[in-house]
Amino acid sequence: MTPFIQAQNITLTFKSKSRDPVTALSNFDLAVGKGEFVSILGPSGCGKSTFLNMLLGLIKPDSGAMQLNGTPITGPGQERAMVFQEFGLLPWRTAQANVELGLELKSMPAIERTDRAVELIKLVGLNGFEGHYPHELSGGMKQRVGLARALATEPEVLLMDEPFAALDAQTRDLMQTELLQIWERTKKTVLFVTHSIEEAAYLSDRVIVMTARPGRTKDILKINLPRPRDYEMRLTPEFNEIKLRIWEVLKEELTSRG
Amino acid sequence: MKLKNFYTEHESSILGTGFIVVLLALWESVPLWYALPKGMALFFTTPSKIAAAFYQLLLNGEIEKHFYVSAIAFLAGLGLSIVVGLPLGLIMGRSATLEDLLDPYVTASNATPRIIFLPLLILWFGIGIWSKIAIVFAGAVFPLLINTYVGVKNVNRVLVNVVRSFGASEWQVMKIVVLPNSVPYIIAGLRLAIGRAILGVVVGEFFGSSQGLGYMIASAATNYKVDVVFVGVVIFMALSVILTFSVKALESRLASWRPETAKTF
Amino acid sequence: MTAKGFFTERRRLWLGLFSVCFLVAAWELVLTYIVPVNPFFFTKPSLIAAAFKEQLQGARLWHDLAVSSQAFIWGFSVAVIVGIPAGLVMGWRRRVEYSLDPFLTALYASPLVALAPLLIIVFGVGVFGKAALVFLLSVFPFVFNTFAGVKSTDLLLINVIRSFGGNEKDLYLKVILPSTMPYIIAGARLAIGRGLVGIIVGEFYAASEGIGFAITQAGDTYRLPDMFVGIIILSLIAVGLTELMRKLELTVAPWRANDEVR
Repeated sequence: MTPFIQAQNITLTFKSKSRDPVTALSNFDLAVGKGEFVSILGPSGCGKSTFLNMLLGLIKPDSGAMQLNGTPITGPGQERAMVFQEFGLLPWRTAQANVELGLELKSMPAIERTDRAVELIKLVGLNGFEGHYPHELSGGMKQRVGLARALATEPEVLLMDEPFAALDAQTRDLMQTELLQIWERTKKTVLFVTHSIEEAAYLSDRVIVMTARPGRTKDILKINLPRPRDYEMRLTPEFNEIKLRIWEVLKEELTSRG
Repeated sequence: MKLKNFYTEHESSILGTGFIVVLLALWESVPLWYALPKGMALFFTTPSKIAAAFYQLLLNGEIEKHFYVSAIAFLAGLGLSIVVGLPLGLIMGRSATLEDLLDPYVTASNATPRIIFLPLLILWFGIGIWSKIAIVFAGAVFPLLINTYVGVKNVNRVLVNVVRSFGASEWQVMKIVVLPNSVPYIIAGLRLAIGRAILGVVVGEFFGSSQGLGYMIASAATNYKVDVVFVGVVIFMALSVILTFSVKALESRLASWRPETAKTF
Repeated sequence: MTAKGFFTERRRLWLGLFSVCFLVAAWELVLTYIVPVNPFFFTKPSLIAAAFKEQLQGARLWHDLAVSSQAFIWGFSVAVIVGIPAGLVMGWRRRVEYSLDPFLTALYASPLVALAPLLIIVFGVGVFGKAALVFLLSVFPFVFNTFAGVKSTDLLLINVIRSFGGNEKDLYLKVILPSTMPYIIAGARLAIGRGLVGIIVGEFYAASEGIGFAITQAGDTYRLPDMFVGIIILSLIAVGLTELMRKLELTVAPWRANDEVR
């Protein structure tokens, strides 16, 4: 499989006035195929969110290179869109206006924008709430808006930075299943950062486990569960075994941090 | 290299003081590079002249005399506003009925510049210390009152219930929960009250007095002694800044658990 | 809705109304029947009401209001035009913040009214001097509130715009300005209060027209009812403008809980 997203030897050190420099990533490599759903799992501070922001184009590595479909990544671009953990919705815009944000910045004409936004709002199941403001929406609904917004510009890659971490357990489970449904329909390449072994195992084709800081790849596990996946799969022994395997790899990194 | 490190570490103070120094230097140098027309020259003064005037007035005891008068009016008015405003605020905070009854007066008076009452107060108390104390009181009492009762009202219900569940009386609830919770608000109110009180002294002395720093400014202005005017202004500025910032420091110490809001003076 | 329900819902309104009516009635009755009123020191609501009617029908009041408003609007508008951009730049550029902050904070904390005599002497008794005073007093809330608003902009939202490829102009228009609006309006509310102090002091000090002057003149000639009329009118304007600003704050920013220390 030719890698669709590629990263080689990514290194980044944070310099700070008051503290010692912190190396977030050290010779981190990554390869993701087109249409794959890949999770990145790792202990706190291992650099996974930092790396995602690099792929988004907001941070530049100190050394190393990244490519999307052969083209080097040097800054933000329309082919990559992110869904943020804290939603990042503009509080003074309605849900629909938030979805239209990326399209506005691309200078799409208003009528087209509205059509596209309405389509996506339907896709994420928010009909009837287009005119609501973020403070009137629940956490799960806010994240649906975030997802709709990310999909609006038709990116090829969806970057998701612990998107469900701020939601309660039930909403989180619901959103995971819905995310898979949307993914099946839209066929995006997804890079999903999470702390949750269960979430990574349930959603992904492959799980990349990172070491503690400075972060590099420790192991990559293939998830051999059939698709489409439903909630009941999480209750099977096979699923538990997968979770155990991931845990075996991850736990050393958690204890080694002390 | 060391110099550069020093700069980056202290950048904010260096730029801040630097700006003021440059401004003062420019002001001082104006007569050197701009020939003022005769009329303007009467109104123009420079920092060095102001400093000289300040020194002189200090020597002949003028400043001391006026400062003393202003200080009395300030302290008396502020003291009175604390004595009236604080207890009233506490009661208003605990009694919704009283609050609703007094609300129209408080809202109206708070939005209206209390200075507007000065002619009336002068009519009643005459020119002298009492009309000044009255206007200082009128200005300072509202921030104190309002902040006190907002502080009392905003007490966390959960905390009150916790203390009550241990069998505390109303008075104990006040002492253990309500008062400590209100302290940051009260101190903030005090900070605002000080600003208003100084304002009251200044304006009160412009019109309703024959002594005090405000009077010194007003009479100097009439006699075109612009340097003396600035001496008075600078003294008020210094006092204001020192007092307000002392209270702010107190506030941050006592209220580190409160969220930051915009500067309000 | 039952009778009880109707009353408890608007409790604050009813109690407030009751309180004011009670005070006015008591004031009138006490000064009419119980204590004789010395017209040089006191007056009563009926006389104030009569003076009100007379003034509203006359031309003088409206003229005074127009004169005062003119100076106020001039000074206030310049404060808006100067203050908001200054606050924006201070908030966005660190170096500008460092340079200007101590100086402007010192000025904000000071009673700039103390400069009133100087301004009047230099600029004379007309509109310009008063407008200058209004400007000096009302510019600072705009500067500092705008500044606070910019600094409080959610960094996450900045990243969101950047991730969609937005440039600096997009950042300003789509995130920073909307985010700062509620702060600016709060600043306007504070600025109105301070600006009104400026116009009043300016007119007390040296003027021949304007509402502040009308009040001092009424005081000098012991026309207390007219004095009260002036005070009440100004108070109504002040309250009206301030409440307008509060409503505006809520409309622009319903998502912000308003617990600000006034």
